[in-house]
Amino acid sequence: MSLGTPKIVPLRDLAARVTDGSSLALGGSFLHRGPFALVRELIRQGRRDLEVIKQSPGYDIDILCRAGALGRARAGIVAMEGNFGLAPWYRRAVETGQIRLEEHACASLTAGLRASAFGVPFMPCGGIHGSDLPALNGWKTVEDPYGSGETVYVIPRITPDFAIIHANEVSEEGDVRVYGTSHWDRIMSRSAKRVLVVAERVASGASFRDQPELTLVPHFLVEAVSIVPAGAWPGSCWPHYAVDYPAVGAYMDDAPGVLQAHLDTAPEAREAAHV
Amino acid sequence: MSEWSAFSYVVTNLARFVRPNEITFSGVNSALPMLACLLAKRAYPFAFTYINVAGGVDPSPSQVPISSSDPVLAEGSRSIFANEDFYDLCTRGQMDLCFLGAAQVDGLGRTNVSCIGDWHAPKVRLPGGGGGAVMLPTARRAVTWRTEHSRRTLVETLDFITASGGMHGVVTPIAVFTKRDGRLVLASWHPGASLDEVRDRTGFRFEADGAEPTPPPTPAEAEALTALDPDAGFERDAAIRLR
Repeated sequence: MSLGTPKIVPLRDLAARVTDGSSLALGGSFLHRGPFALVRELIRQGRRDLEVIKQSPGYDIDILCRAGALGRARAGIVAMEGNFGLAPWYRRAVETGQIRLEEHACASLTAGLRASAFGVPFMPCGGIHGSDLPALNGWKTVEDPYGSGETVYVIPRITPDFAIIHANEVSEEGDVRVYGTSHWDRIMSRSAKRVLVVAERVASGASFRDQPELTLVPHFLVEAVSIVPAGAWPGSCWPHYAVDYPAVGAYMDDAPGVLQAHLDTAPEAREAAHV
Repeated sequence: MSEWSAFSYVVTNLARFVRPNEITFSGVNSALPMLACLLAKRAYPFAFTYINVAGGVDPSPSQVPISSSDPVLAEGSRSIFANEDFYDLCTRGQMDLCFLGAAQVDGLGRTNVSCIGDWHAPKVRLPGGGGGAVMLPTARRAVTWRTEHSRRTLVETLDFITASGGMHGVVTPIAVFTKRDGRLVLASWHPGASLDEVRDRTGFRFEADGAEPTPPPTPAEAEALTALDPDAGFERDAAIRLR
């Protein structure tokens, strides 16, 4: 990854880097700024046995379950949100044993990612006392070795194979800019082995030099980037577009052909058809 | 007749937990607490800091979004206080009031948001851990809400303890509970219901000393809610019934 090398590749090539069985930290939260175009492309390419690692997945984890592409999940809270309630295909996948879930609090998942980012085997996490989650997950406590008498849960390191982020803008070299909240994208980008990015558009390298404080991920951490306008559809990408609620509603319909129609009407599919 | 609708009862009584000069937080999947925080900003003559899961700090959103994590909740914010920030704020003991969801609540104010039935073979897989396991024990006060008041939501025994530490408050369409000596006690009930009805529809035992019918909405509270939901779209979507 030498400095200044262009990193922009077509979406299908970006998705091809993700092999069956990979663990994916997916950026965004619920219906907001998720890397949904790449998630759909993984489905089109027939990927299997993937793992989602995300504090608040929704549409992304649901469509991966619906397509039979998911084997495991480490997640905090899972829902479609808005007025759509539970994520139905995810719910069914857990209830029928189609996927294996490791249930987290959002902050315990973050602690595991922090351990990876900080280069240590585990990370303390506040709270958790009195919950049934530690017994379920085998989480252990340590007593403060410096004698405060406090006992704290420690979460084992979580190192995703990939962090996959949907960004507002990137430079040709792969610097990443996000507007609005960064959700958990920053810690994901520091904890994963490899970072892939889908962005709405390219911005000039000069603009990144003008305001480096807006850069969430510097290019040297990023392996490759694809440009997919409206790639976070049917979710939002602030300030470019809001959630497409009718499209989410159409996706929720449990009828034959709905998933394929949904994949076919996605922005990246329509774009590809024009090429 | 009561001046409350089941919807206004839940939203307004959540707002009444907001106190001056405190930091109050609303999260994902939390349209009713989001409305409560926005209502408190409009209706109450005191300052408090409202932070939310979209990174907003005292935002001035151009519209009230359907999704309580929508980025418009950061419009007008002077900073982005993102997810890691507000979790860390909470675990270090500086979150005054935190609204957290629950599927089941027990008499100690513990919550289940994980599953109905056995965790390993669930009858219903629920959203899961989320903020609760970390925020409920570490926030100074946490408050939850249920849009259904029944023995299957307010239970003697949780199917799974997702979060412990004890809710400071619980609001349902017919009742407001607060914590006293580590247990939830009835603070007030919807004037269209009764103490007997609350007892009959609650799965856990509770004290009710000093409880009384909930005071009606003030004009400021009613006006604020009307301003936030002028077409009653949120009220329709929430579909909360008294019984």
